[in-house]
Amino acid sequence: MTDTPLEFGDPSDLEQLRGEFRGWLAEHPLPERGADEPLPVFLHRWHKQLHSGGWVGLDVPEEFGGRGLTTLHQVAISDELGAQQAPGVPRIGYLAQALLKFSNDEQRGRLLPRMLAGEDVWCQGFSEPGAGSDLAGMTTVAEKRGDHYIVRGQKLWTSYAQYSNLCLLLARTDRDGVAHKSISAFVLPLDRPGVTVRPLKAHNGDDEFCELFLDDVRIEESELIGSEGDGWALAMTTVSYERNALDTGHLSKYGLLVERLRGIVGERGDDLPDGLRSEVGRCFVDYEVLVAHTRRRIAERIAGAEAPFDSSIDKLLMTRTEQRLYETALKVIPESLYEDGNEVFAEYLYSRAASVYGGTSQIQRNIIAKRILRLPSGK
Amino acid sequence: MEAEEFSLVRDMFRTFATRFRSGTADVDPAALDAAQKALDELGLAELRRTSHPAATAQECALLAEEHGKQPLGTSTLGTVLLAPELLRLLGDDTPAGVGATPTIALARDLRFAGADTSELVAWDTQGADSALAVAADGTVTSVELGAPAPGIDLLRAVRAVPSDAPGKVVGRLDADALRRWQAYALVIVTSELVGAAGAFVDLSVEYARERRQYGREIGSFQAVQHILADATVLVAACTSATRYAAWSLDNETPAAALTAARVAKAEVNTSALEAVHSGMQVFGGIAQTWEHIAHLYLRKVRLGATILATSADLLSTLAEPEAAR
Ligand SMILES: Cc1cc2nc3c(=O)[nH]c(=O)nc-3n(C[C@H](O)[C@H](O)[C@H](O)COP(=O)(O)OP(=O)(O)OC[C@H]3O[C@@H](n4cnc5c(N)ncnc54)[C@H](O)[C@@H]3O)c2cc1C
Repeated sequence: MTDTPLEFGDPSDLEQLRGEFRGWLAEHPLPERGADEPLPVFLHRWHKQLHSGGWVGLDVPEEFGGRGLTTLHQVAISDELGAQQAPGVPRIGYLAQALLKFSNDEQRGRLLPRMLAGEDVWCQGFSEPGAGSDLAGMTTVAEKRGDHYIVRGQKLWTSYAQYSNLCLLLARTDRDGVAHKSISAFVLPLDRPGVTVRPLKAHNGDDEFCELFLDDVRIEESELIGSEGDGWALAMTTVSYERNALDTGHLSKYGLLVERLRGIVGERGDDLPDGLRSEVGRCFVDYEVLVAHTRRRIAERIAGAEAPFDSSIDKLLMTRTEQRLYETALKVIPESLYEDGNEVFAEYLYSRAASVYGGTSQIQRNIIAKRILRLPSGK
Repeated sequence: MEAEEFSLVRDMFRTFATRFRSGTADVDPAALDAAQKALDELGLAELRRTSHPAATAQECALLAEEHGKQPLGTSTLGTVLLAPELLRLLGDDTPAGVGATPTIALARDLRFAGADTSELVAWDTQGADSALAVAADGTVTSVELGAPAPGIDLLRAVRAVPSDAPGKVVGRLDADALRRWQAYALVIVTSELVGAAGAFVDLSVEYARERRQYGREIGSFQAVQHILADATVLVAACTSATRYAAWSLDNETPAAALTAARVAKAEVNTSALEAVHSGMQVFGGIAQTWEHIAHLYLRKVRLGATILATSADLLSTLAEPEAAR
């Protein structure tokens, strides 16, 4: 990481953008979630509403449907959403970055504007029953047949596949080659013959995950992203962005809850059990540190000095913030433990997944040790 | 300062710090005097002295970070960075009654002084001839230096402030200037601790690459790798929070800068300490000896966690929304 002074953006410029955004929010009331409305459906409505105001993909070039501003502008909006108690920004930042980096211009022009507008909903088909942490062990195969591929295999944990129409799919295009050269990435429309999506119920009762069965599915050559063998690098880019709280839109979600907890301390601070006040202070510190850290990483990204494996640090910090925050929330809002279907408790359960998805905390530590600290490899 | 100019200043400071670092806990007073003299000759005390300072707060914070990286007994924080900033906040001219090389004075427990300033200590006094104390209402007093006071940080000189010699009031900070002062002081102290924790973790990583047990480098054991990975994350958190707080001093309102500085200090109070604990674990037995420099870092960071504001002070303050405080 750099040791020279950093630019964190012009506060007045960012303040102006925030002002515009607040003005827009005032005229476009936040949507209400229907009693039986699944979260992804609700968030999708919100995504479209945000997009109609030009508030999605601020840092994506204009030619691909974004606003061509910097990532700092995107951070400011993410932050402001939290401050305004709104649902978070759509979690597409990391997918957009992967497409920007790996797809060709035709694909970018075709896919990105629809992704930003919420016309296509994407999911991510990387993991398999036998290939979780060890992604290189994947066995789904895409066999080339002239101008198309035939795909066979099974994916697991594919979040929200049942609400998606496209899947960013990884499959092996060369059965025998080493993982880093033999895995390729595809855009798979989920309504293709041979695709079966089966939802799995998560521990919080949500139907987030899915299994994906791929039986002789035809994928066109034009649906290959980049070249054959680019899949590994693309996956690494995707997960590295997925490990950053900004690109996943998690910052605003945390900010919202932190402010709620601080509000409760402000109102009934003295009635709280001993030590809980400090715990809330600690959550605020975690959150602000994460915001500062994200800004630093963005400043480095803009200055072109970004180190690729640092995203593992980002992910561990994000996990720390999230897990301590929800643990504290259960104590500050005790009714969350005694109400059926309480949202805070559901989020607490989900916070336990933070150290699993996007690469487990152990895998992040392995990456830091080997790639950043360059420690010797174990036998 | 231009980027190139700052690089030159930092390189100059790095050269100084490498040359005068203390490799032992038995600090030699003559060597310390020589180091302080060499530091004075660098002329860094002028960086923040005038109304249009030559260096940004962010640049000063980076110098404090450099200072923390090496075991150094010089008063870079007190006489070079902190007292000059305090004088700058009071106005361009040095008020009458201020010594030639003041450092700062703090409450007896090294926290920010409260309303009662009858019990003070002068902090970071190597090469200083007096100290400036800021009371909770913003009153700034110049006080004399008394006998050396004991302290666990072997690299930081602290002196008593004689209670029978009343200080001279030399000025007063208004509410915003007081916030700026507190934010700046927090950032400078925090930066030093970030530098110390980061450098010590680096040393332990180097050690893990070389030290062999069971026929291989200890750094190849996953248990050791994960300790060092976690320490690296903690140092990154401290660095991000502190750098951001320093930037806020140059760009944000005093209230926002003070919140960012408090956040940074709260993070560093726990995380820098935990990172040093981790590094000591990786060094094993050798780090538990008087001869090894590990305890110099531990002493600095452990005491540092109480300086200006403790976690208990900060977390309680930060638990409430700003308007409610
Ligand atoms: C909420 C959620 C959403 C997800 N969404 C998606 C998605 O949309 N698309 C997708 O493709 N995947 C998704 N995943 C899958 C996720 O990426 C995997 O669960 C994760 O990579 C871990 O793989 P695994 O579950 O097979 O666990 P395993 O790899 O079997 O790991 C089990 C345990 O062993 C540890 N372990 C494994 N290898 C090592 C090692 N080398 N060193 C030390 N410890 C090790 C792990 O840390 C873990 O504690 C999601 C997961 C969750 C929980």
